[in-house]
Formats: sequence, structure tokens, C-alpha cells
Amino acid sequence: MTTVAPRAPATPARPDSIYRSRDGHRSRKARNTVATSLISASFVLALVPLVGVVVFIVQKGSGVFGWHFLTTDIPFSDRDFGGGMKPAVVGTLLITGAATVMAVPLGVLGAIYLNEYGKQGPLARLIRFLAEIMTGVPSIVMGLFIYLLWVLPRKQNGLSGFAGALALGCLMLPIVIRTSEEILRVVPEELREGSYALGSRKVRTIRTVVLPHAAPGIVSGALLAVARAAGETAPLLFVIGIVTSTNTSIFNGPNTTLSQQIFRGATSPFVAAQERAYGAALTLVLLVFIFTALARIVTSLYARRSSAGG
Amino acid sequence: MRSRSRHVSWLLVPVLAVGTVALATGVATAGVSAKGTKLAGATLNGSGSTFQQAYQQEATARFVKKNSGITINYSGGGSGKGRTDFTNQVVDFAGTDGLFKPTDPAPKGGPYDYIPFVAAPITVSYNLSSVKNLQLSADTIAKIFSRQIKTWNDPAVKADNPKASLPSTAITVAHRSDSSGTTQNFTQYLTTAAPTSWTLGSGSTVPWPADTQAGNGNAGVANIIKSTDGAVGYVDFSDARAAALTFASVKNAAGKIVAPSVAATTAALQGVKLAADGTYNPLNSPNAKAYPIASPTWMLVYQTQTDPAKGAALKAYLTFILTDGQKFASSVDYAPLPPAFVKATQARVNAIKA
Amino acid sequence: MAVTDTIPEQAPRPLVGGDRPPGALADRVFRALALGAGLLVLVILGLIIYEMTNQSLPWFRAEGFNAIFSDNWVPSAGHYGALGLVVGTLVVGAIALLIAVPVSVGIALFVTEVAHRRVRRPIVYTIDLLAAIPSVVFGLWALRALETPLANVYSSVSDALSGVPILGALTANPNPSGASYMTAGIVVAIMITPIITAITREVYATCPPAQKEAALALGATRWEMIRGSVFPHSRSGVTAAVIIGFGRAVGETIAVALVIGSSPRLTEQIFGPGDTMASVIVNSFGEATGTERAALIGLGVVLLAVTVVIGVLARTVLAGRQRRLGVA
Repeated sequence: MTTVAPRAPATPARPDSIYRSRDGHRSRKARNTVATSLISASFVLALVPLVGVVVFIVQKGSGVFGWHFLTTDIPFSDRDFGGGMKPAVVGTLLITGAATVMAVPLGVLGAIYLNEYGKQGPLARLIRFLAEIMTGVPSIVMGLFIYLLWVLPRKQNGLSGFAGALALGCLMLPIVIRTSEEILRVVPEELREGSYALGSRKVRTIRTVVLPHAAPGIVSGALLAVARAAGETAPLLFVIGIVTSTNTSIFNGPNTTLSQQIFRGATSPFVAAQERAYGAALTLVLLVFIFTALARIVTSLYARRSSAGG
Repeated sequence: MRSRSRHVSWLLVPVLAVGTVALATGVATAGVSAKGTKLAGATLNGSGSTFQQAYQQEATARFVKKNSGITINYSGGGSGKGRTDFTNQVVDFAGTDGLFKPTDPAPKGGPYDYIPFVAAPITVSYNLSSVKNLQLSADTIAKIFSRQIKTWNDPAVKADNPKASLPSTAITVAHRSDSSGTTQNFTQYLTTAAPTSWTLGSGSTVPWPADTQAGNGNAGVANIIKSTDGAVGYVDFSDARAAALTFASVKNAAGKIVAPSVAATTAALQGVKLAADGTYNPLNSPNAKAYPIASPTWMLVYQTQTDPAKGAALKAYLTFILTDGQKFASSVDYAPLPPAFVKATQARVNAIKA
Repeated sequence: MAVTDTIPEQAPRPLVGGDRPPGALADRVFRALALGAGLLVLVILGLIIYEMTNQSLPWFRAEGFNAIFSDNWVPSAGHYGALGLVVGTLVVGAIALLIAVPVSVGIALFVTEVAHRRVRRPIVYTIDLLAAIPSVVFGLWALRALETPLANVYSSVSDALSGVPILGALTANPNPSGASYMTAGIVVAIMITPIITAITREVYATCPPAQKEAALALGATRWEMIRGSVFPHSRSGVTAAVIIGFGRAVGETIAVALVIGSSPRLTEQIFGPGDTMASVIVNSFGEATGTERAALIGLGVVLLAVTVVIGVLARTVLAGRQRRLGVA
């Protein structure tokens, strides 16, 4: 009676060289430990520059920072110590605010078109594609564009906060469109269908059902776009001019921003100007962090609401 | 539980908008001094040369103290941008270290003036602790900056400094990474004064040899010089003084060795002619007391001003610069004009139709 | 509690033939507005391309083919061949990717596979803080705090590697001030890590848990599970993330301008000074007139073209992935 030699177990269909190892269990475990440590280390590595920058800016900027710094004009001369960055703070808020007022409504409207009307039609696909391209346009190109097209033809009214707002708005618009469209896409189709079933037209549906549902996500996305715009330097360099005293008018006359002042201070030989630049950097980082934190809060409200089944 | 958070997030938008405006207004109105209305009266906007920026800042500070209704914003940005802005009438005046080229488009506001008002030396700053008073001739400078001379104890440098003991330290050359009128004038000087030794041409950027270092702005170059033993570079006088650098004395066209100073720069201007349109060239001036690397700079203004308030303010500012402005110029490390220049220029300022 | 309480304010009116349902006009107006907003993107982009190409024509006319393909950027002599700048831009982008991609993949893996669930959100927020810091602040920090220590590192590495065949040539001639392609690459890597991490994280999160659990059930270690289940599934998504990160790297202006060292020459020495298209524009535009200005604007056009190409590439890769996996 011949016994049939037991067949070797069928090898799994997938090449399993990754599960086989020459020296057995210990080496696999070692490899796993090494890999896991490297993965954890990469997070720590990313923390290094974050902490480095924040500590550096806080160290260098806290000397001049304070309420006085935020409410005093910039001295006429770079070599004079003291003074503050009030015009730059006001300028940053004004110009970023104006850019937001222009870019966010238009961006949300555009996203509504893409998601509610155009959907996968050829024009909508083209716009979506171009918006994606536009998010990648280098900010310096936007600045040059506004300088050539808006500032130069306008003669004396060319250099203004508004020109800067235009440049920033062009930068923000595609970002707002894309993030808003993402949010709108997540709104359940059943909600819309329910609204239509009750006899609402599209506008009413969008107004009463879609937008309220998407609002937290849209607001959060807008805040992140604002944070990015507040930190932009390159597009503003050629188009806003400069001031040493606060200009509260966005259309009338040149203006200045924190980012512009930081850039000037970085290349200035005068210690006084460098000190103020560090203070401006601290102010700007605080401002941007506040906007980012606000965006987080809004998102977490959104998440809590969704999980609560609102 | 109806989604209160939904309403909260809606509220967030107007709250933020109102909050931002309120914050901006609050910050803006806090600390308003008794200077009165900022932008009533007239506002003069200028852009251009960063070389004259430190002077413009000082002149503005003093002028505005006497004339509180006027604001002057000089945004720098480079001579090229200044000329472009001026051509397109984006600014009321421009600062430039160089002249318009024949191929440039004609300025749209009609006939214009070059208004000289100050000049300043470009220093050759260096970092050699053992040598206090370095002396250099134009040829040696040209050879150093084009890397034909690589160590401090080179025979050419020794020939310029017979009494000094020069170390064998390697020379590190520092130059500008950004385009600059300072580079333009420095290289123009080398082309004029050392044509056989300097072959890299002149311009706001030149093809520096690969083994040189670049710094952003005068401050960047000053930093490189300060932090590198054996470094040498060209830096505007006021920025070099702000950085506490050591300067070399340069042999001028008359054969005399002159240290960079405000007085020596004015002497350089005295040695050259002022043309009818306001242009002049003080580089390598023949005057015996002149510092040869004297950099000119001008303000560009239109001869006919369309806005009466701005025109009056501009004329007043220019007159201030040509009178009081000449007196404090040296205190901010700029050289005043020779009296003959001032007279001729004032006459042209007076002829501006405001 | 009458029944009438629940009747809506306007009882719906039955439609008769030929009637339009109420609100049609508002609908059409709103649709037009929304369409107009969408078209704005087209208009702006079209204007950018038109205006910039128009103003940069003198450069192309003067240089022709050499504008981009010759390494001869000497404005003082009237030469505007930008090859060194184009390659410099790509080199900085490549260095940034080499550093940022492994780190970003590591962070994404950390968040999705290794870290405890509760720690995930704070970690993600922390990485996004990196994205929030403005470019000019990074540039200031790199210029003042990073360059000098890095310069020491460069000279040590350069000395150690001198004579080694390829690496020696790459690391020769370190710039004593620290301003170099490498420094710029490091700064840009820090700035593009958040975006690559975000996309990669989402890609990893969509990996079917069943496959992962199957691998673990078969006795795989965590790393083996990642290699066997997560990576193969995410290849195209991560590729898209890398491409998008590269696009961002190419566009970085201010931070690069402050630390790149300004030497518009084609070179392989990454520890030495260099130049990118964006940094040249920022550094030179203030003084440029005539053909040089046209050349700088032309550089902007080239940058735009590079961005478009990268965008198309990323899109193609992502679309392919969607098709293959049926993932949104």
C-alpha cells in the first residue's frame, strides 16, 4: 500500500516574499520595530522645524511685542528704535478682509455652480480643471499680473490696498472653490431630494437645505484660505506701495502689511528695523494661528453635529 | 436637539466680519497722536532706489514735522521699478540711481527733470583684523572682485600697502544677490577706472565668478563681510556704518589715496560738471580730494504738475531737501551737493509748474 | 391645537397648462450668477496668460529658442538664457521632495496605522500648523537661525565625501555662508510636508480595512501589513500627492529668495549657491527695465506653464486611480 506523499500546502496566490524571511521570526520582528520607530520618528522630525520657528520668533519678537507695539505707527526712519506696527496690522486686516469679501462669496457661488448645476458637464469640468491649475499658480505671478494689469494703467490710484486685495483674492478664489465644492459634495443627496419632493425649487433648496448643512465646512475652508492669504508677501511687493502711518482706506493710497514689513526688515541693515520685523513676525504668526484655531473649532462643531445626527 | 451648532457656525461669519472690522478700527484709532488728519492736505507717493531710501526717510520725518498736513510715502523697490512707476504716473516722484535708456518708453506725464540732491560713497568694506587701514587701487579692486587675486598677501595688494603686513588669508568676495543700483555704480566705476583688469561689464547684476558669495541687500553683504575672516565686499556708506564695518581707502584718478567719507564725496561732485538736465557722473572724479567710488542718485519729477495740492507739496519738499536737507545729510551718512549744484537745481525746482 | 396650525402659509396652487412653477425667474438668475462666478476663474486665468505672454514677447523675440534652453543669464551683457534658472527650480523641488516625501509618508502612516486613535486629531492639527506659518517667516528663520549651522554641516560633509565619484561632485564647493540649493530645498521641504501628508493620509485612510485585517490575521507584523496591503493600494494616490507637492515646491518664492545665494548658473553643486525662476523674479524685478523685465515676466510664464503641466499630470494619475479602484 503506497501512501501518497502529502502534497505541500498550496502556496498563496500572492507572491509572499514579503512574509518569508531567511532567518525566521526574529528578523521580521526587528524589521517591524525599525520601521515603526522610523515612522514615529518622522513625526518628531516634522515637529523640529515647527518648534524651532515658533521658539525663534517668540524669542526675538517678544522684546518689542505688546499693546504699544500694535498701536503705534512705524517710525519714518529705519534706524530709529521704538515705534510699532499698527499700520501693518491694520493693513493686513483690511487687505485680507477685502480679499475675503471678494473671494469667498464668489468662490462659494462658483462651487455651487460646479456641484449643483454644472456637475459633470463639459463647462463644469473645464472650470474645475482650471481652478485646480489656478491653485498652483505661484503667488509672485499673481503679483506681477495685478501690477501689469491693474496698477500701471491706474496711474496715481494704482498703488493701493485694493490692488493687494485683488492679488490675494485671485489667490484665494480657486482654493475656496475647491474646498467648498468638496463640502457641497458631501451633503447627502437625500436631503436635496426631500426638499424637491416638498416642491422647493433649486434656489430654495440650496438656500434652505444645502448651504446650512455645508456652512460649517465652508466657513472652515474659508478661514484656512484667509490664514494663507494673510501670510502672503510676494504678490503684495509690487502693488501696495508703503506707508508709515495708518491708512484705513483701502481704495485710496498705498498701504502696508505685516508680511511686507517682515520682508523689508529681513534685508535691512538697521537693527531697529530688524527688531520691528521680528515683532511683526510674531504678530503675524499669532494672527494666522488664531484663524487656524477658529477653523478647527468650526470643524469640530461640524463633526459633533454630524455624529449627533443633526 | 436641533442643530444649534449649525446656527452658531452661520453666526460665526458675520461675527468674524464685524470683529475684524472692529479690531482694525480699534487698533487704528488707538494711539492716534495729535498729528491731526493723516491723509488730508496732500499725500506724495514715491518709489524707486533703495540707495536713497535712508535719506528719504530722514527727510520725510523732518519735513512732515514742519508740515503736518502732508504725508510722504517712499516705498523703495528698486530704481527700475521706480522708473517704471514714474513712466506710468503711478507715483508722484521716483528715486533712481541710473538714467533712462533711449530704448525706454517715454514717461507719460510729459517732460521731466532729474533732480540731484545727495550722493554717497560706496565703500569697499573688508574683514581683516590685522590690517587697520587697507589701501587699494582701482586695478587691484577689479582683480580682487573678478577673482584674479585670491589671497590677501598677493603682490598687487602688497604694492598698494607697502607698510602693512598682510596675512595669507584667502579672500572671500561678497556681492549683491538682488539687482541693485549700487552694483550698477560699483561696476561702472570699475569699468571706467580699471578697463583692462575688469572684464565682467557693468549693470545691476553682473556675472560674478562662481566662487563668490551673494547677500540679499546691503545688509546681506554686510553680514557676510562681518562673519567671514578675509571677506571683502561693496556696501553703501550708511549701511556699512550701521553694520560697523571697516572700509578701505581707494586711490582716486588724481593718484591720491582717499578714505570714503561724506566730505570726500562732495569733493567728487565738485570735480565734475552738472549737465542742464540734472545728470552728472561723479565716478572716478578728477578732483584731488575726491573719493572715486561716489554714487550719484536722483529724484525724478514731472515739469508740469497736474494736481495743485500735490505740486505745491512736491515743490516744498524738494526745496526743503535742497536747503535744510543739505545740512543734515551728513548726519545720516549722505553727502550734500556742492553749492553750485544746489543753485542750479533750485532754479529748476522753482521752474516746476505746480 | 387646530388642524389649521399645520397648514403651510401658502397652500400650493395647482398648475394649469402653460403655467411656469413659481420662482423660475429667481432660479434662472441665481444659476446665471453662479455660472458667472465659475466663469470668473476662466476669465482671470485667461487674462493672466494673455497679459504675461504679451509683455514677455520681447524676451522670446530676442532669444528665441535660447530663452529657455541656454544657460546664459547675464542681464548686464544683454543675455537672457534661463536654462540655469529652470534647472535650479527643478533641483530645489527635487531636493525638497527627497526630504519631504519620506517624512510625509512616515507621518501619514503614523497617523493612520501606528498612533492611538485619540491622538490622531491633535497630530493632524499640529502638522497643519506647519502649513499655517507664512513663507516669509520661514525665510526669516532659515536666514537667521539655520544658515550658519547648516554651513558647518555642508563643509563637514563636503570634506568627508571629497573624491567619492558622484557624491563628491555633488557636494563640492560648499558656500561658506550656507546659502545654497540644499538650504532652499530643506526650507521648501518643511513647507510642502503638510500638503503631501494631508493627501497621503487620506489615501491611506481609504485602504480597505478587510485587506489589512487579512494580512494581520495571516500573522504579518504591522510593517509587513503596511508593505503588503497599504502601499500597493496607495501607489497612485501617493504619486499624485508627490506631484502636487512638487508643484508647490516650484512656486515657493520668498523663502527661497532669501536663502538660495543667487548664482544663476547651471551647476550640480547642491551645497553651492544657485537660483530659481521665482527667486530671480523677486530679486531682480525692482531694478529691471526693457528686455530684462520682459525676460522676468517670461520666467513667470514659464513658471505658469510648469504649474499647468504638473497639474495635468496629477489629475491624470488621480483619474487613473479613481477608474481602477472606483474610489471617489
